[in-house]
Amino acid sequence: MSYTATLQPQGLLAAAENGFVYQFGAMGSPCEIRMETHDASLALSLGEIAEAEALRIEHKYSRYLKDSCVSHINQSGGKAVALDAETVGLIAYADQCYTLSAGQFDITSGVLRRVWRFDGSANIPSPEEVDGLRDRVGWSKVGWHPPEISLPLDMEIDLGGLAKEYAVDLAVQRLQAISDTPVLVNFGGDLRVSGPRAKGGRWRVAIESVEDDSGTEGVIELSDGAITTSGDARRYLFKDGVRYGHILDPRTGWPVRDAPRSVTVAAPTCVEAGILSTLAMLHGRDAWSFLKSEGVKAWVLF
Amino acid sequence: MQLISPTPAALTRTLGLLTASLFAATGLHAQDVSPAASHSAYGPSPDARTPTSDTSSDLGLTRVDTAILFYQEAGGRVKATEPVTSITFNGSDGEILSVKLTADSLTGATPNGAAPWKATQTFISPSKSKGVQTTTTSASGHSQTVTLPGTDIVASQYTADPHALPLDYGFRDTRYAVDLGYTTPIDAVTRLSFGGGLSTERDFKSLSGSFGLARDLFDKNTTVSAAVNLEYDTSNPYFGTPQPLTEMSALEKGPNQSKTVVNAVLGVTQVMNRNWLAQVNYSVGSANGYQTDPYRLISVVDGTTGAPVRYLYESRPKSRIRQSLYMGNKIALGPTVTDISGRLYHDSWGINSVTAEIAERVAITSALYVEPHLRYYSQSKANFFHDYLIDGQTLPDYASSDSRLGKFTATTVGLKVGLKVTTNGELYVRADSYNQTGAAHPATAIGDLKTENLFSGIKATSVIVGYTFAFQ
Repeated sequence: MSYTATLQPQGLLAAAENGFVYQFGAMGSPCEIRMETHDASLALSLGEIAEAEALRIEHKYSRYLKDSCVSHINQSGGKAVALDAETVGLIAYADQCYTLSAGQFDITSGVLRRVWRFDGSANIPSPEEVDGLRDRVGWSKVGWHPPEISLPLDMEIDLGGLAKEYAVDLAVQRLQAISDTPVLVNFGGDLRVSGPRAKGGRWRVAIESVEDDSGTEGVIELSDGAITTSGDARRYLFKDGVRYGHILDPRTGWPVRDAPRSVTVAAPTCVEAGILSTLAMLHGRDAWSFLKSEGVKAWVLF
Repeated sequence: MQLISPTPAALTRTLGLLTASLFAATGLHAQDVSPAASHSAYGPSPDARTPTSDTSSDLGLTRVDTAILFYQEAGGRVKATEPVTSITFNGSDGEILSVKLTADSLTGATPNGAAPWKATQTFISPSKSKGVQTTTTSASGHSQTVTLPGTDIVASQYTADPHALPLDYGFRDTRYAVDLGYTTPIDAVTRLSFGGGLSTERDFKSLSGSFGLARDLFDKNTTVSAAVNLEYDTSNPYFGTPQPLTEMSALEKGPNQSKTVVNAVLGVTQVMNRNWLAQVNYSVGSANGYQTDPYRLISVVDGTTGAPVRYLYESRPKSRIRQSLYMGNKIALGPTVTDISGRLYHDSWGINSVTAEIAERVAITSALYVEPHLRYYSQSKANFFHDYLIDGQTLPDYASSDSRLGKFTATTVGLKVGLKVTTNGELYVRADSYNQTGAAHPATAIGDLKTENLFSGIKATSVIVGYTFAFQ
C-alpha cells in the first residue's frame, strides 16, 4: 500500500522580518515556515516542500483519515499487518520510548479519550468507565514483530504524540538538504530551527500564556534544535475543586494529578523534545525535578 | 515560571541515540540529530566526557574531572596512589582543548625476575661509588647497604626467603604527567586533532605527540579517522644501564638509553541501526631502541637440580612491531547501554593476544546508575620468554622472565556506580579486581623447581573515586 497522496499546496507566502513566512494548515494545527531569504520564489518552493511533508505525514499517520496507515492498523481486526520501513522505524521508536519510560509513553492510550473529554466541564467518567477501557490499553499487549504488527481486537494506536514532531524534524531536514536558508518550522507549536539566523542571531519564540488573557509568559531564544510545549490551558476538567489536566497516565487511565499546566522543552530534535515534555507532564508535581535530573533545558508553568 | 538548565541524564542520552537512529533510518540527515553533533546552541548541554560515557559533547562548557585511583597488588607488591585532574574546554564552534594532569606515587616491591628457590637467595644491586648518597636502600628495611670486599663500591644487598618469589623492595617512584589535546573542526564534516604529552619520573622520561584527522561520511552515519602518534622515551636507570645478559653485580655504568615509537591507527565508526553503534580500529606501531627492563634479572640454574647458579640482567630485542584489530559496539536497549568489544593483537616478539570485554550500564533512577563490567584477556608468550636459563647452555640473544611477556590469562571483574549529585555534577566510584593466572608449574621445570611457583603474575585491586562537573 502506498501513502504518497499527491496534494495541492494550499499555503500562503507573506513578507516577514528578514524574509518570508509561509503559512498553511495541517494536522489540525496552524503551521508556518519562517525563512530568512529575500528570494521569494525560493521561499515559496521551500514552503511548499515543507507543506508537502506535513501533508504526507498527516495522510499517512492521522487516525482520523480512513485510509491512513494508522487506520489500516486500527482496522486490522486482530490480524498481523506488514508495515513499510518508515512506519517500522517510527513504531520501533515508540516501542523503545515505551520501554525507556516504563510504560508512560504508550501509543495505545488514545482509546481512553472515549471517556475523557477535556471540554472544561465537570464530566468526570466513573471509575467503572475507565476500568472498562484499561484492558484495551497497553503496548505490551501488542504483537510487535517488525515489520509486522498485530493489534489485539478493540485496541488502537495513535501516533499523535509523535507524528507532528516527526514531521517537523523531517521538514527541517528536507529544507536543509536543498538550501542553506535559515528556517524555522513550526507545526502547531512544535518547532525546530535549521540553525542560527542569517547574521548569527537567535530565533525568538514566545511561550503562550496559560491564562485566558493570551499574553506571553516569556520568550525563548534559540539558535539550534527544537522546542515543544505539552499542556493546554484550555483542555481540562474541573470537579470538586480538582483540576484534571488533559494528560492521561496510560498505566492508570486517569489524568496525572498536579500536572504542570504547561511544559516547554528544548532538545536537538522535535521528536525528543516532544517525548521529554510528555514524560515531564506524566511526572505530575515532580515534572520539574524530572527535567532537572535529566538535565534538559525546559520551562515549566504550574 | 521555572527555568531549568541542562546536563542530560541517562534517559535523555538514550533518547538522543534512538532519535539519531530513527532519522538515520529514514535516509535523511542524521547530522542534526546525532547526539554528538547536537545539543548546541540553546545553551550548555549534555555531558559526555565523563570517564564512562563517550557519546555527546559539551559545547560551550568547561568540564572538570577529578579522581583518585588507589591500586594495590596482593602479596605486598606495588601500591599506587594516583590523583588525576582533567579539564576540558569546549568552544562554542566545536573546538575542544583538554588538559590532564597526573601524579603517581608508587611504592612496594616488584618481582626482580629471578626464579624462587627452596633456600634463601641473596641479590646485590648496583649502587653508586662510595661517598655518593643513594636512596634505593631506604625502602622498608628489606635491604641493606654493604661495601663490596676489596673495593670502595657501595652496593645494596637484599634477600628472598625460601620458596618466596624474589622481590626488589627498592621500588619507589613518583611520576608526573601532563597531556594536552586540541581538536578543531576544519569544515562541517572534518575534524583535526593534535596532542602532546610529557611524563617524567626519576629514571624515565617520555615525550609524545599525535596528529589525527576524522571525517564524517554518509550524513554522519559513518566516521573515518586516521591518527599518527610519535613517542620518544629516555631511560636513565638509577645506577646506569646494565649490559644485557651479564651477571648482576655492583658496578654498571652504561649510558642512558632511548627508544622511539611510531604508531598509526585507522578507524571506522558506523551507525549500524537505530540502537547500535559499531567501531573498528586497526593499529600498527613500531618501537625501536631500548626496551629492556634495566632492573630485571633472570636466573641461570643448574641443569639437574634447578638451583640458582647466577643471575643475569635480562635482554629484549631493540625492535618491536605491534598490530591490533579492535571492534567495539555500543548498544542501547531500553534503559541500559551495553558496551561489547573484542581485540586481537600480534607483535613481532611472538605475543598473540585476545581481549573480550563487556560492560552494561543500567539506570536505576534518573540520578543513579550502576555499570558492572567483565574483561577477559589471554596471551601467548614472547619467543624469548624463559622462566630461567640453564647453566652450560648457549646464551640466547634475548631472554626475559617478565610475566607480562609470558603466557597468561587475566580476568577483570568490576563495578562502577555513578550518582548525579547536582545538575552538572556526578560522583562516581569504580572498583576492579584483576587476576592473572599462568603456568605456575610448567611441565619443563627441572629439579626442585618443579615444586616452586614459577608464575609471578599479579592479583590486584583498584578503586577509583571521582567527581566530575561542568560549568559555562
